[in-house]
Amino acid sequence: MATPARGRMIPYAFVAPALVLMFVILLAPVIVAVVLSFTDYGLGNTSVSWVGWDNYEKIFKHSRYEKMMIATLLYVGVVVPVSLGLGLGAALLIKSLRWGGDLYKTIYFLPVMAALLAMAIVWEFTLNPTIGIVNKTLASYCDVQWLRAWPWFDQGCRDTFPLWLGEKEYALWTLCFIGIWQAFGFNMVLYLAGLTSIPRELYHAAEMDGAKSAWDRFRLVTWPMLGPTTVFVVTITAIRSFQVFDTVEAIFPDSGGPAKSAYVMMFVIYEKGIKQNLIGFGAAVTVLFLLFVLALTLIQHRMVERRTHYA
Amino acid sequence: MIGSRTNLGEALKHLVLILGALVVILPFYVMISYSLKSPGEIERNEGGFIGAQAPMVDERCVKLSEPDKKAIAAAKPKHAGKSDREIKDILLEKVRADCTMSPVVFNYSKAFSEAPLLLYLLNGVIVTLSIFFIQVLVALPCAYALAKLKFWGRGVVFGLVLFCLLIPVHAIALPLYIMLAKLGLTNTYAALIVPWTISVFGIFLMRQFFLTVPDDLIDAARMDGMTEFSIVWRVMLPTAIPALLAFAIFSVVAHWNDYFWPRVVITGNRDLFTPPLGLREFKGDADGSFYGPMMATATVIVTPLIIAFLLAQRRFIEGITLTGMK
Repeated sequence: MATPARGRMIPYAFVAPALVLMFVILLAPVIVAVVLSFTDYGLGNTSVSWVGWDNYEKIFKHSRYEKMMIATLLYVGVVVPVSLGLGLGAALLIKSLRWGGDLYKTIYFLPVMAALLAMAIVWEFTLNPTIGIVNKTLASYCDVQWLRAWPWFDQGCRDTFPLWLGEKEYALWTLCFIGIWQAFGFNMVLYLAGLTSIPRELYHAAEMDGAKSAWDRFRLVTWPMLGPTTVFVVTITAIRSFQVFDTVEAIFPDSGGPAKSAYVMMFVIYEKGIKQNLIGFGAAVTVLFLLFVLALTLIQHRMVERRTHYA
Repeated sequence: MIGSRTNLGEALKHLVLILGALVVILPFYVMISYSLKSPGEIERNEGGFIGAQAPMVDERCVKLSEPDKKAIAAAKPKHAGKSDREIKDILLEKVRADCTMSPVVFNYSKAFSEAPLLLYLLNGVIVTLSIFFIQVLVALPCAYALAKLKFWGRGVVFGLVLFCLLIPVHAIALPLYIMLAKLGLTNTYAALIVPWTISVFGIFLMRQFFLTVPDDLIDAARMDGMTEFSIVWRVMLPTAIPALLAFAIFSVVAHWNDYFWPRVVITGNRDLFTPPLGLREFKGDADGSFYGPMMATATVIVTPLIIAFLLAQRRFIEGITLTGMK
């Protein structure tokens, strides 16, 4: 430090680039989105007018945006609990194995590494009703009598198997499946880390207190001790599934799914705001989206706080 | 720990886990298998995993190099006494032979020749590395100041970092896009890189790491006459290599695989496509017979990270689940 005066300025010089970028790239856009959501702005438009709550009213009145809310919330509501359950289940099973656990861990983590867009396209082929391997395999088991006892399967053999991504009864569920396929390995790894940090003495103590069955040990020790991990898994999976876009855009580029059944929020922001230049409306969806994320994070904080008071 | 220790129990667990593994691997199997097989084998679902690899004729290649009048005239002296028609057939036969290849060669050569896949891969490398380097350049001094320097307003700055952690960059894509468009920056490398230059998560992570570095180390460096600037880059950076490596994996995986942001800011200029955009465009253009090359493209895009992951699993899992440290 050459002079004290210069020395005192050094910390500010160090944080300045980060501060400027934080304001320009993260905070300013939030404010811009809020302001634009009350206008009918579009790139290249000569005039902009203030439309008040019109954009928001549209979201809550039009049936297609009702579908957007249903699709988004249903997607999150399915992907979060199922990928949490599968992640936890896989972690418990792997942890309890005598050998081979690492191999499963590696395999289950593969989808986390792969570009979701590429894998969405591959899934689309895999589930293709005419050339896809899934329906071909299903059809090849039609001779098996005991499988025909399953009404759904019998129906598929006599008529056709589902089009998966092609019909509105199945499309969103199929997307949820791809989302779960991609996410659960990540949750598994977090749970494996959480399981490792549970002290073994707790299990001994629980056993001495009469927790004999595996279920009792899980209920009384494992699950409560995994609380912080669970809160985190739920939050991060929910925020990520709210942002689902790649699979929808790759598979339903023009429509958002059969009968708009997979018309999720990020897709709407892209379609309305960027493709159709209805920026005011897109901004309103953006604000709504940010409110969802904020609400999720606040809930997470509340849960974490309650836990620490409890402990 | 949970469940019985009998062999039966162990076997059941393996059974469940193997079934799960089959579902997880299915699309990877399909992707690689299709990238090896001929269009006919794909359509009829035959040939097992790698197909028969029977030589196939690339009809498009034949069409492109069909012998024209000039070629026939040029070949006339060699085939004296034959009619033009016959010469054409001979030449065509030769072209067909040249355009015959095994399905795997067809698929992968088409992947690289139908679209400039190499350029897309290069773009992917440029974008992901630039993002990572700028992120470190911005985050490291800030993290150092937040962890080790006392200054008025430090709490406010850190509070701001924590607040910004709440904002998913994808969610504010629309206003960012407008700002970039107003600056005339859409369809540039800058548009792909700039929004990611600030990683509040990186700042937070590095700050937490720097808190664990003993003050004595920094004091000693100051005694040696080092400036604060060189302390950041010559003392703190080397100590932070493990944390930085984890952050590098986190950042590179996220941006190599990112599809949404490039889709938003790269609208026309194919020269700036990143790998996922290139694959998506391939899908848009493809007709029925191009499943093989498309799956070859997908394989080429997905493979680098998968191989890196298989080679350094522990580091990758650490890096990707970094977010779990919050």
